[in-house]
Amino acid sequence: MTQTDTVSSEQEDLRLLRESARTLFERAGGSGRARKLRDAGGSFDPNMVRELAEAGVFGVAVPEEQGGLGMGLAAGGVIAEEAGRVIAPEPVVLTIGLSLGLLRRLCPEHPKMAQLIGGEVSLAVAWQERGPGGAPADATCRYADGRLTGNKAWVVGATGSQGFLVVAEQDGGPVLVLAEATADGVVIDKRAQADGSSLGELSFSGTLAAELASGDAVQAALAEAVADATALAAAELVGLSECAFEITLEYIKTREQFDKPIGSFQVIQHRAVDLNVMCEVAQAGVREVLALMDRETDQKVRAQLASRAKARAVTTAKRITRDAVQLHGAVGYTDDFDIGLYLNRALVLSAWLGDDAYHRRIWFDAREAEGAAQ
Amino acid sequence: MTDWNAMSDADFRKEVRQFFEAEYPEELRHLPHRPKFAEIEHWHRKLHAKGWVAPAWPAEYGGMGLNAAKLLIFYEEQQRWGVNRGRDMGVQMVGPLIIKFGTQEQKDYWLPRILSCEDIWCQGYSEPGAGSDLANLRTRAEIDGDDFVINGQKIWTTMAHDATHIFMLVRTDPDAPKKQQGISFLLAPMEQPGVDVRTITTLSGETEFCEVFFDNARTPSENLVGELNKGWTMAKALLSFERIFIGSPSLAQNALGQLESFARGRGAFDDPVFRDRFAQAALDVEDHAALYARFADQLKRGETLGADVSMLKIWVTECFQRITELMIEAAGPDGGTIGPLQVGNVSVDVLASFYKARPTTIYGGSNEIQRNILSKAVLGLPG
Repeated sequence: MTQTDTVSSEQEDLRLLRESARTLFERAGGSGRARKLRDAGGSFDPNMVRELAEAGVFGVAVPEEQGGLGMGLAAGGVIAEEAGRVIAPEPVVLTIGLSLGLLRRLCPEHPKMAQLIGGEVSLAVAWQERGPGGAPADATCRYADGRLTGNKAWVVGATGSQGFLVVAEQDGGPVLVLAEATADGVVIDKRAQADGSSLGELSFSGTLAAELASGDAVQAALAEAVADATALAAAELVGLSECAFEITLEYIKTREQFDKPIGSFQVIQHRAVDLNVMCEVAQAGVREVLALMDRETDQKVRAQLASRAKARAVTTAKRITRDAVQLHGAVGYTDDFDIGLYLNRALVLSAWLGDDAYHRRIWFDAREAEGAAQ
Repeated sequence: MTDWNAMSDADFRKEVRQFFEAEYPEELRHLPHRPKFAEIEHWHRKLHAKGWVAPAWPAEYGGMGLNAAKLLIFYEEQQRWGVNRGRDMGVQMVGPLIIKFGTQEQKDYWLPRILSCEDIWCQGYSEPGAGSDLANLRTRAEIDGDDFVINGQKIWTTMAHDATHIFMLVRTDPDAPKKQQGISFLLAPMEQPGVDVRTITTLSGETEFCEVFFDNARTPSENLVGELNKGWTMAKALLSFERIFIGSPSLAQNALGQLESFARGRGAFDDPVFRDRFAQAALDVEDHAALYARFADQLKRGETLGADVSMLKIWVTECFQRITELMIEAAGPDGGTIGPLQVGNVSVDVLASFYKARPTTIYGGSNEIQRNILSKAVLGLPG
């Protein structure tokens, strides 16, 4: 096969994957499903997780020899975009990027790998901690003699997961442990989020946990997994932005004032075009990043690429969802219209793993460090 | 004759790059102004001898016969090395028009003269009352014996004061039911009593734009290209491929490089606000390049570009402007100073870049017109 053939057959595989993911999400109820789950108390649907698993969704970026599909982050991005389009609350990016991202790099033989890929369990990843002022700070959570003590913050999917992958400290070095959600000494403080989901503030006091890996490899794998998840969250925001734009475009074509569709007014048209252009730039940029990350092995370069993607996606999603509300007028401010669900989901996904200003800073610093090294 | 399209992309790029790097005069790299022909004549002779004046023309007419993929590479390398396009209106606009719509006699006569630059062309489209609304043009051409007699005025005619010929859109049927009808494509000599050229001084003090007045100017009737009254359709057909180039990342990329070396020298990166705005601009350029690559791939697969390609121009020109505005900010109290500013061993003409960026959102279909196009042709909005 020539290089061009390989490229186009990869493109074709991604296209088919996108089609099947879109069909799956649409059949399950599209964005209406997200509203129902939110109104029912704000967790995800375990049946949907299993259906996604049957379609091979969680294992897309896991190498074939570890039980996955070996299609790389580019394929993960396709799934994330489709999840973003219907603002699905299932832990798609969490599982593909963070949970499996850590396990496949540190302990690919662990039985939880197969269970995650099979959709039998979900595992939340607890890696950040809150300092005295409330902002992110260095890890102080300790693991000794098989027991975990300390606090973790901003844990996505803490409610609804069967266990936690916790990054802690052991003898002055990092360690990755697995704690069951039902273990003694685990307290989950739920912080309600704008989209109806919750972030967990976890506290462990002498909680039994199993060691999975330790040493510098944990830090390295965490950095890689966070970069993967960051880029995938960007893809999720791209899908979300596209759909929010499509909903808005349909609205301005049908809503009439002064006896005309408001989309016939030039001021509305030009704003719509600007949102559309932003969307296309974000889609092209984020997809390029995911493809580049699949070919890149240098961790620093991968992290910088992920920052580029998240910076772009957050800027885009914020602008599009906020302008979308404006273009809807008063009804955009009601909970009855779906556009608000997109605004709220964008708020949550933007804050998770760093917003645009944060990632521009990281991206710029990485660029400077690279320049200084040369 | 070399079949360039049979080469691998990498080999072709290498060949083009080597030629430019070895042969293009250093003092003409990244020229800040449009040169008169005399200034670049020496380079043109080299290109002509090499057979590289018209990369897009079919080989049978003396071009390189490049396909879309190779053509993109050629232009990328040209821009990368800062190779001036020269006086290429003939090659870019008149040649393709004649090749597509001209008679055999027109091809035989005009095409070799374009390649050798024996004729130097300027473009007569815009008029005082026909800018964004180009179809509103009023310059009349009436048949008188074997000639057309031309009366009216063109404006924004780039380098008309250094051109021997003008290709123009003229009204040949003022009674046509729609203003897009009744327009024809005409070639005319500039050196005659009925043609008067006046230069327009721009904000930057350059005089590359002109007004051209026609007072009973004449051109032989065989200088009509294509059918009478079909000029509008022909002009639109010419635009399809060129539209990607006006949205190419190179102008913004070059400006970003200048901004970075200038800002570094001035210590502007010590300011976290400036750092963030630089990062924004740099990422705007990178992600635009990703979108540009998507359209370029479409061309390489042999597909025709849709109206959505307009979004490249909107994004990159506005980005280019922001970058040059950041240069002025970084210049601080030197922000109003004309001419190159020396910073360490680099010299950057901040105002020249700023001025160069201003008309990019106006020419080639203003960005507002591009938004109108996208709104209707891509988003399907009414009205």
